[in-house]
Amino acid sequence: MFSVIIYGRNDSHGYNLHKRAAISFNALAEVMSDPDDEILFVDYNTPDDHPTFPEAIADTLTEKAKKVMRIFRVRPEQHAHLKNKTHLVALESQSRNIALRRSNPKNRWVLYTNTDMLLTSRNPKESLSDILGALPDGFYQIPRFEIPEMLWEAAFDRKDPVGNLAKLRDWSVRFHLNQVVHNFMPMRYDALGDFQACLREDMFAIHGFDEDMILGWHCDSNLAARLALYRGRVDTLIDKAFGYHCDHTRVAAANNKGRKTTMNSHDRFIWNVSTPYLPNQAETWGWPDVEIEEVRLDRETSYERFTAGLGLAIKPATVPFTNTSCEWHLFDDLTYDLPHTLPFVCDQVLTYPRTTAIMVAATRPAFVESFATAWRGMGFSGPILVPQECEGLPAGLPGVTSGPFADLVKKTDLFVFEFGLASQKVDDPTRVGREASATDKKRLKAVEKLFREAASTEADTRPARRKLARRFIGVNVIYNKYWPIFTDYVGANINPFCSQVLAGSPLPEPTTVRGKILRFRKRA
Amino acid sequence: MSKPSILNFLMRRKPAHPAADDLKSKDPERRGQGLFRVGRTKMRAGKTEEALAEFDQALKLLPNYAEAVAARAESLDMMGKVDAAKVEYERARKLWAGQRPGAPDRSYLFRQRGRFTFEVDSYELALLRVKTGSFPHLACGNALLAQGHPEEAIKCYDRALKIKPNDPDLTALKGEAQSMAGRYKAAIEAFDFALATNLKAPETLNARAIAKLGLGDLAGANADWQRQLELLPPGQAAARACVALRLADYGMALPELEKAIAAEPADAYWQLYRQTALRRLGSAVEAGDLVPAGAHDAELEFQKGIAALATDKGAAKAHFQKTIKLGPVSLIEVCAAHNELSRL
Repeated sequence: MFSVIIYGRNDSHGYNLHKRAAISFNALAEVMSDPDDEILFVDYNTPDDHPTFPEAIADTLTEKAKKVMRIFRVRPEQHAHLKNKTHLVALESQSRNIALRRSNPKNRWVLYTNTDMLLTSRNPKESLSDILGALPDGFYQIPRFEIPEMLWEAAFDRKDPVGNLAKLRDWSVRFHLNQVVHNFMPMRYDALGDFQACLREDMFAIHGFDEDMILGWHCDSNLAARLALYRGRVDTLIDKAFGYHCDHTRVAAANNKGRKTTMNSHDRFIWNVSTPYLPNQAETWGWPDVEIEEVRLDRETSYERFTAGLGLAIKPATVPFTNTSCEWHLFDDLTYDLPHTLPFVCDQVLTYPRTTAIMVAATRPAFVESFATAWRGMGFSGPILVPQECEGLPAGLPGVTSGPFADLVKKTDLFVFEFGLASQKVDDPTRVGREASATDKKRLKAVEKLFREAASTEADTRPARRKLARRFIGVNVIYNKYWPIFTDYVGANINPFCSQVLAGSPLPEPTTVRGKILRFRKRA
Repeated sequence: MSKPSILNFLMRRKPAHPAADDLKSKDPERRGQGLFRVGRTKMRAGKTEEALAEFDQALKLLPNYAEAVAARAESLDMMGKVDAAKVEYERARKLWAGQRPGAPDRSYLFRQRGRFTFEVDSYELALLRVKTGSFPHLACGNALLAQGHPEEAIKCYDRALKIKPNDPDLTALKGEAQSMAGRYKAAIEAFDFALATNLKAPETLNARAIAKLGLGDLAGANADWQRQLELLPPGQAAARACVALRLADYGMALPELEKAIAAEPADAYWQLYRQTALRRLGSAVEAGDLVPAGAHDAELEFQKGIAALATDKGAAKAHFQKTIKLGPVSLIEVCAAHNELSRL
């Protein structure tokens, strides 16, 4: 019957986003009753090492919301070509078009709204699917009513959409919430972008939202102007449904700088629209040829993938706890507990595309073995690239490609550098003052060399398909000699020693003379 | 005296309603729309009961006036008469949905349904503040043209073109109005200008074809329709069917009509056109009369021509000639009749 199209990213857009969005997702799912109904959330430009926004709040969503939601993840790399043209980190037109292109073709209607809206049918027995199912073709809006921040924050229970909608019906009367704000045509109502219901077929005919609108604001008004031209009228659904907005202006969102807010031009995109169509983007709107990952909350979740991978790679602990130490006299001891560390390494990669190619430069054979097992178990299909300069590592592992570093560095999307003792076995004690053997030192030296070279020349060796810097993951790089080395080249946060893992992008300029020389030599 | 009244008095301004002239008109259409506008003004001023009375009067003159029914519904809703309002909202939707939209191969503006009084009123209000926008002029022009008032529409498009000179889309719309007004040469120039900017504009090609046919250039018209067919995606079956019918290419039209019927089984014209295509392709079809009630006389004549073709070519020719005489050049049957005649 209908596809709800919303967008966002895993950030903090406005006040208490997580609660607003959970309330909204659950309430939207609650008014759906047709098996084809879907909520399409475009997660636009969330950093690769973060989960998508709905995944981040999945525990606060109802089973129904999780079942109807399809998440389309647009990677930062896919946004990179637009990055320099806009101050915004999430683009509305592109997002909404990506969802529209991939929406269920069985659905007659598309509903554009936002992640802070609750819709109530005026007849509580009618679902929104019932309402839309009985409507003649057209372009429909409803007025938006505001909910004071205190009310939704204090009184709504995220996982009780039925109760929330009942409260809303009561408040609307008690607190006089229902005030219709009329507007000039073609907008008809103020804040029209929170409910624009139109035919999927019409949206395809007019080539979706205008993807030239990359400065924020008025995308909804532009759509209204174009659909008003196309259909002649803007119809109201005020007799069928009310829309309530969780007000969130205590803290300004990133796209709201008061009078200094940068916006798409009113004149160009509203008052001088002269056709419903966008012939310049007729073939390209919604990025039909770009592979967009789809994430579900009701199947193959990140948690399921994580446990599947680690379940294959490590066995459950047989003791209540193990020990290590961050005392300074143990600074030179490079032993670490692999089964304990591996979950933190997997945590760093899990949110990347499954086709990611990852370079693993390591010293410990067990690390490569267990990581490769976990990688496949987590559902990754991209290769693990092991430089042949790293000696003593197992050969012939499934999905592992070995080759000269100089070749592999141009193919990888992600780096893992592991600094352990090649001689350490899985059951050996950790951080008890062990010294590195000659072989250990030789292997460590090789990995360190590759790391310095990779980090200082990352921009020059980046594959042609990539515009953004690749991420570096350091294993066993906290409170030992590789801590300063790693952070000389990589902008990593301070992490707890217990995780043994640091990660970040290469620094724009190496902080060491050695790094600068390396970079200079490579460029020369 | 209220503040606006004092101001009017001091400035010796006449507080006449913009619809004042319409209210004096003897034309029920004009008077009905005038009453609607007065009703809307009263509704906005909170005089809901008075507004209802105006809408009721408008509906007496124009019983199928969906805008007035919708405004009535909203007024009742505002008064808390929710159940009565519901009935009226539904009635308005049914009235709009019951109007036959234009052919899907033509400009979007001919597919719109309604009188658009509410919209024009609102755009005129917008124009009080928006001085640099062509959109309200264009939207008013479209509403007028969809209602069959090309000369008034041209004035609106000219105002829009003053703000946005040489805009190809505005120029094409002006061309549509010129074509409807019978100024085919000027229309073709406008379409040529628009197509020079965007060659892949199926609706403009259709418009130019119609204008060419208006000038008697059937070959030129057919070339534009052929080009339009090439551009229309397979998903737009109804539009493709209409273009094929204009070309009297029934083999091409038939599969598209089957798809159109699958998408809109209740559309009487797709059923009729399917029957037409089957007849012309020599398939036996049931003789039931599928011509919808209220069809244009030219449409009836065309069907008579199709029926006569197998047995009496002379009679068919006469029916096709009559089709052309009776119908507007933009009518599918008129275009098809031209092509049928060229083959007889």
